[in-house]
Amino acid sequence: MSKRLGNILGAATLVLITVSLWMIFAWVPTEAEEGIVQRIFYFHVPCAWVAFAAFAIVAVAGVFFLWLGGQIWDDLGYAAAEIGMLFCTLMLITGSLWAKPIWGTWWTWDSRLTTSFVLWLLYGGYLMMRGMLEESEQVARFAAVVGIVAALDVPVVIVSVRLWRTIHPAVLVTRQGGHGLQDPRMIVTLLVSIAAFTLMLAWLLTLRLAVLRARTRLGAIARAVAIAEFRRGQSV
Amino acid sequence: MAAAAVETIALGKSYRLTPVLLEVDLRVDAGRAAVIIGGNGAGKSTLLAILAGLSAPTAGVAMVLRQDSRRLDSAARRRIGMLEHRSFLYPNLTAAENLEFYGALYGVADPRGVALGWLRRVGLANFAGERVRKFSRGMEQRLAAARAMLAAPDLLLLDEPFAALDSDGAAIMADLIRGELARGCAIVASAHGALAIEGVALEQYQISRGRVVPYLEKSGPSRARRLRSLLGRQSQ
Amino acid sequence: MSAFVVILTKDLRLELRSGTSTIAMVALAMLVLVVLVFALGPAVARGPEAAAAALWIALVFAGMLGASRALMAESENGCLRALLISPADRAVLYAAKLAAAAIFMIVALGAGAIFTVLFFNLEFSGALPRMAPILILGVIGFAALATLLSAISGRARGGELLLPLLVVPMFVPALVAGVRASAAALSGAPLGAARDWIAILVAFDVLFVAAGYLLFEHVIGEE
Repeated sequence: MSKRLGNILGAATLVLITVSLWMIFAWVPTEAEEGIVQRIFYFHVPCAWVAFAAFAIVAVAGVFFLWLGGQIWDDLGYAAAEIGMLFCTLMLITGSLWAKPIWGTWWTWDSRLTTSFVLWLLYGGYLMMRGMLEESEQVARFAAVVGIVAALDVPVVIVSVRLWRTIHPAVLVTRQGGHGLQDPRMIVTLLVSIAAFTLMLAWLLTLRLAVLRARTRLGAIARAVAIAEFRRGQSV
Repeated sequence: MAAAAVETIALGKSYRLTPVLLEVDLRVDAGRAAVIIGGNGAGKSTLLAILAGLSAPTAGVAMVLRQDSRRLDSAARRRIGMLEHRSFLYPNLTAAENLEFYGALYGVADPRGVALGWLRRVGLANFAGERVRKFSRGMEQRLAAARAMLAAPDLLLLDEPFAALDSDGAAIMADLIRGELARGCAIVASAHGALAIEGVALEQYQISRGRVVPYLEKSGPSRARRLRSLLGRQSQ
Repeated sequence: MSAFVVILTKDLRLELRSGTSTIAMVALAMLVLVVLVFALGPAVARGPEAAAAALWIALVFAGMLGASRALMAESENGCLRALLISPADRAVLYAAKLAAAAIFMIVALGAGAIFTVLFFNLEFSGALPRMAPILILGVIGFAALATLLSAISGRARGGELLLPLLVVPMFVPALVAGVRASAAALSGAPLGAARDWIAILVAFDVLFVAAGYLLFEHVIGEE
């Protein structure tokens, strides 16, 4: 079942990404102020959306894991964290590539980039933790707790960083999200791009989840075999 | 029929790929003492940890004081005492302070009075104001026993209670055990070899290959083990 | 007596007897300040802005040390297991450990604040009383995170790296708010001027103490 779902998502992603690329590079008009560089915006914003969405998935999966206990929730959380990290990194890179021509600097501590960077650190901490600890039920519970606490942190980060940056307005101009997208084609392009990236998130999740679940199933089989051999009195 | 203090049904425990316990059916009534005999790594400590509510079984269920061991409430845990090779004592607190702490934690009515009473009972009254870090091993073990029993538990879990005790210590331990059983406490103890305590009818079980079966002296472990005979008398 | 009081007084008594945690934290805070003064140079290392930053850096480093020790105090003789078996709620254990860590940190940072005023050429009058509530809020937030997460990091090999790795990004909002509010307090402004920052600190504390209280039982058990 999940293989079929994966294939459908993959096909849909491919289609929508293709459409989106065409729209970004051929169809949508160049933005007046920033020029051609502004097209990065159509990659950057969806990456940001996916990164935050994946983070939310990690937290929600964590809640379900602690509450219901099925291993699939832990697998989902781990998969979402890995994919989210990927898109978070892309978000930072596209943000940097965008910043250089516009503001003349590779990095800047505006409120959005800063929040993104903290998100990246939170993801990094989660993944490093999972990498450093051997897999076990206990570690899965730890990871769920970390995911939940980190997600609770994100709104506070957003508020505090925004306040932090508004007291230094002279340094740079804050980017707005749908900042005066004059042409309706720009809005359409953005929405299509967001949809394409969201599909990609879903597709990558099913792929990664399939691997993790196979590993879980393998573990269950190995455990059952170990118990059966133990039962028969042979050495394990 | 009165409910048992401890009743396990098809209890199993595996750590990831290592099975330890397999279909353990054990029943211990109030005022009875069960001894689980087995070698290192046989699963004795694992079983006791499950009964204490520290570790969750991976199969079956353990009913402790008529509650699921995975969900022991505060009232049930108040009635459980545990003794193992680690003393659970704070080295920088005095003997009296240690006992008072645990007494207060377990909701004992007069922690100081109870603490002093128990210090007398285990022959440590003269050391009430001494810090535990200065105690000898034998003294520490006696204090640890007092700690486990001072809240008048209904279930005592003793992990190798006679290991490394000298004859005086062993006499005191036997005396304490008799006293607890007379009070109606149920005891589940583990040991390396068969035990005999004067005046106590022990239900001896053997744990091997994950199962718990009644201990038959003839079919004892193939390696020679000393039979520990315990002194209920003053002189041998 | 409630389990919270019993456990907390035990931890306070132990700390009073050995004092290792608090002294170590004071020493570390002082070292951090010294390093900053020498690294920044006397021209930069003066005034409320630099002082606030320095003190909060000291808070983070000393806190890392102190908070993990709160749980480590239970590692001798298996006392943690005794606490887990006891009738005390896991959440209550969390609250007691959090309170103990916070108290030790506040004492250490009180000393740190005095050094800061000295090293960074500030006025004593009124600065310390204004700083106190801000530091206390920051300490509580830090201890809430660190107590929860040190249950994890204490078990891992190389766990000493894990705790800062997890805590520092999560602490960013409180750090930002705390430094801003402290700078305002140290420059003589009344606390009302830093109202927004203090509100963030309060929200941070409430959020993470509650989260820790609810989630601690999931990280502290045995296998």
